[in-house]
Amino acid sequence: MPHLEIRELFLSFGGIKALIDVSLSVEKGIIHAIIGPNGAGKTALLNCINGVYRPDRGRIEFEGHDLTRMKPDEIARLGVGRTFQNVELFRNMTVLQNLLLGRHNHFRSGLFRGGVQGYRNPEEVDHRKKVEEVIDFLEMERWRKAYVKNLPYGVQKRVELGRALCMDPEILLLDEPTSGMNVEETEDIARFILDIHEEIGTSIVLIEHDMGVVMDISHMVTVLDFGNKISEGPPHVVQNDPKVIQAYLGEEQERERKTA
Amino acid sequence: MNRNTIPHLFLKRVEGFGDRVALREKDFGIWQEISWDEYAQHVRGFCLGLIELGLERGDHVSILSENVPEWLYADLAVQAAGGISVGVYPTNPAPEVRYIVGHSESVFCVCQDQEQVDKVLDVKHDLPLLKKIIVMDMKGLRNYRDPMILPFEEVEGIGAEVHQKDPDRFQALVDHVRPEDVALMVYTSGTTGPPKGAMLSHRNIINMIESLSKAMPFYNTDELISYLPLCHIAERLLSVLLPMYIGYTVNFAESVETVTEAMREIYPTVFFGVPRIWEKMLSMVVIKMKDASWLKKKIYQRMMPVGERFSEYNLSGGHPPLFLRFQYWIAWLTLFRALQMELGLSRARLAISGAAPIGPEVLKYFHSMGVEVLEVYGLTEETGVACMNLPGNQRLGSVGPPIPGMEIRIAEDGEILMKCSHIFEGYFKDPEATARIKKDGWLYSGDVGEIDEAGSLKITDRKKEIIITAGGKNIAPSEIENRLKFSPYINEAIVLGEGRKYLAALIQIEYENVAKWAQERGIAYTTFKSLAQNKEVYELIHKEVEKANKEFAQVETVKKFKLLEKELDHDDEELTATLKVRRKAINKKFGHLIDALYSGK
Repeated sequence: MPHLEIRELFLSFGGIKALIDVSLSVEKGIIHAIIGPNGAGKTALLNCINGVYRPDRGRIEFEGHDLTRMKPDEIARLGVGRTFQNVELFRNMTVLQNLLLGRHNHFRSGLFRGGVQGYRNPEEVDHRKKVEEVIDFLEMERWRKAYVKNLPYGVQKRVELGRALCMDPEILLLDEPTSGMNVEETEDIARFILDIHEEIGTSIVLIEHDMGVVMDISHMVTVLDFGNKISEGPPHVVQNDPKVIQAYLGEEQERERKTA
Repeated sequence: MNRNTIPHLFLKRVEGFGDRVALREKDFGIWQEISWDEYAQHVRGFCLGLIELGLERGDHVSILSENVPEWLYADLAVQAAGGISVGVYPTNPAPEVRYIVGHSESVFCVCQDQEQVDKVLDVKHDLPLLKKIIVMDMKGLRNYRDPMILPFEEVEGIGAEVHQKDPDRFQALVDHVRPEDVALMVYTSGTTGPPKGAMLSHRNIINMIESLSKAMPFYNTDELISYLPLCHIAERLLSVLLPMYIGYTVNFAESVETVTEAMREIYPTVFFGVPRIWEKMLSMVVIKMKDASWLKKKIYQRMMPVGERFSEYNLSGGHPPLFLRFQYWIAWLTLFRALQMELGLSRARLAISGAAPIGPEVLKYFHSMGVEVLEVYGLTEETGVACMNLPGNQRLGSVGPPIPGMEIRIAEDGEILMKCSHIFEGYFKDPEATARIKKDGWLYSGDVGEIDEAGSLKITDRKKEIIITAGGKNIAPSEIENRLKFSPYINEAIVLGEGRKYLAALIQIEYENVAKWAQERGIAYTTFKSLAQNKEVYELIHKEVEKANKEFAQVETVKKFKLLEKELDHDDEELTATLKVRRKAINKKFGHLIDALYSGK
């Protein structure tokens, strides 16, 4: 049984059809990439999954729950973690505080008890432990107490990934985790994604423009173009699909031909 | 069985100190303590595990890792088994790893993580003797199907089983180690040619730590942070060998980047830094001061000269007048105490600089703030330390008197010769090079220097690096280079002039500080290169060079300089693993720049 199943999804903003009859199933524990030219509807699809957008029609099923009618926080509680294309962190807080926020769904004690007991609360110790594990995992020790606003962009994206990991997600939705990064940072993130896959076994849905990363780390690739799913399969199959080459890689080839 | 070998010494310490803290490692944000007993358990487990996997007496084992407790376990385990441990710099690129692992004929490689394993796997086909790659952190390696890869804990597990069946096995192994056996090999960084493997015996090392502990006051309550590469003999002595002799505690930061933070948590009482570290600390203070509030700036400007005057009295052996002492007390309250805390040096009883010459200005600066940085001098080939300045009796510009048991003679051509009980056994598989450096009982250091009236040694420079200008003048470039590097805007300086009419320099800017300087002035730049090409940056450095020139004789001044447009890097073979400049590589790579310096373009 697939981990996440999307069936016949439609989404439109007024006259613009963002997603047209998209079906997609993500198997448990794999890295599933979604690619496509700008405006293909990739981010819209992620937004549907974690409840930011409500689709016009269709069904999204995650571990037997129908997500289409749930609120984002309910979906998050089910174990759907996510990072954003543009960093969405609390800039005036430290890395540690941002990561602890990722645990917020797991806090059981209420406002009063949390406020009175503070750091003596054993629950808080457990959460800190989890956060420290994530810091260790993503090698962020040196930034533990740094303010997010003072960190380089590449590191901020890593912190965001960390916050998503702190949620203990069953599935991670990553929206362009390597955008705006240099070669070295991209390599680091790709390695971390593989580590998450191998060590924790989280299913990962990945939107990515860097074809090198997609071909290297993903097990399955879905290609969107103007809201339509045009191809799906293992990376090497998709890479050679004439439809994909025309829609996506074609632009580049044409450009190359012209310059040549 | 009271034999003088490293494993015997270690077991004796474990016997006496059992549950006291031997090591501390910051893990998941908390300092975890490891007692001497636990330390010994790891060593025993790993040792027996290695034997079970086929390690034999006299075999070599390479260790590729940053500083972690497992480094020490592996090191001592190999020695206890009668093997020879070889440290490899974790920053070494794959070709150098191949050279060292291959040349040392290592049968095992102990690697820290995926990064190091990948390097070894890359060159595996050239290493027919290699049996297993043992990995401390298996993260990212679960799907590697290579049968050579084995987790560190698994080896310890195998060893623990052996120990259960045969509890006397470990002691028997240790008793087989003889003082004359080679214990470890240190590959010298090799500013010229490929690295050479210096063999050090158990006896060498025991003699060294005995004289060292006589020369310097170490206590078993001391705290040290281990952060410089352990394959270097100085860090090895301080982090592995001296602790087992003295009994002090060694601390490991989470990573190289968090050392400053760890300093502020541990406040080490013994701190060893290479000149680069001290220079970096100094420029950090200077730069941070520029950003400080008006009041802090004023205090800094007022109090620094007080410290300077006070330290001048102390350095020349005189007593500062009462009023100055009072002023210094104020300065300590308002500035120096905070500075020391900020740098994590407030408890540093022994602050040591070594491994390369340091500029006296840097030492003076730290001395003014009440941190006495002692310069030491030594060679890997005589097990690390030859001379050292002693606390309370420091002579700036000299490396101090020889340590007990060390005899020093200056040859006719100025070369420093040494005689002691810890001269190394020789270079591995290179009797010719050994014969060149070890002649009729003396070790030829390759450095030029002189001994002053107080018996302190003053190093002029490396023999090979002395510049003879076209005018026939002998000039020691390192002195000028160190003065240039004192500037917070200069990271590296290479003075040239062999056979030329005047001296010139290639200068690498300190990227962070210059970038900050540029931002404050609204100078646009994108990368290191564009910053180095900027005219105003050139002017800034020009002023710094002029400032430095004032302190030298006319022939020793730098007449022209060029800024390097890339940062020198170990990977590009411009620096050694210890970040020393490889002049040959630089001369070749930047030949066009050097020619331009002298052709008047």
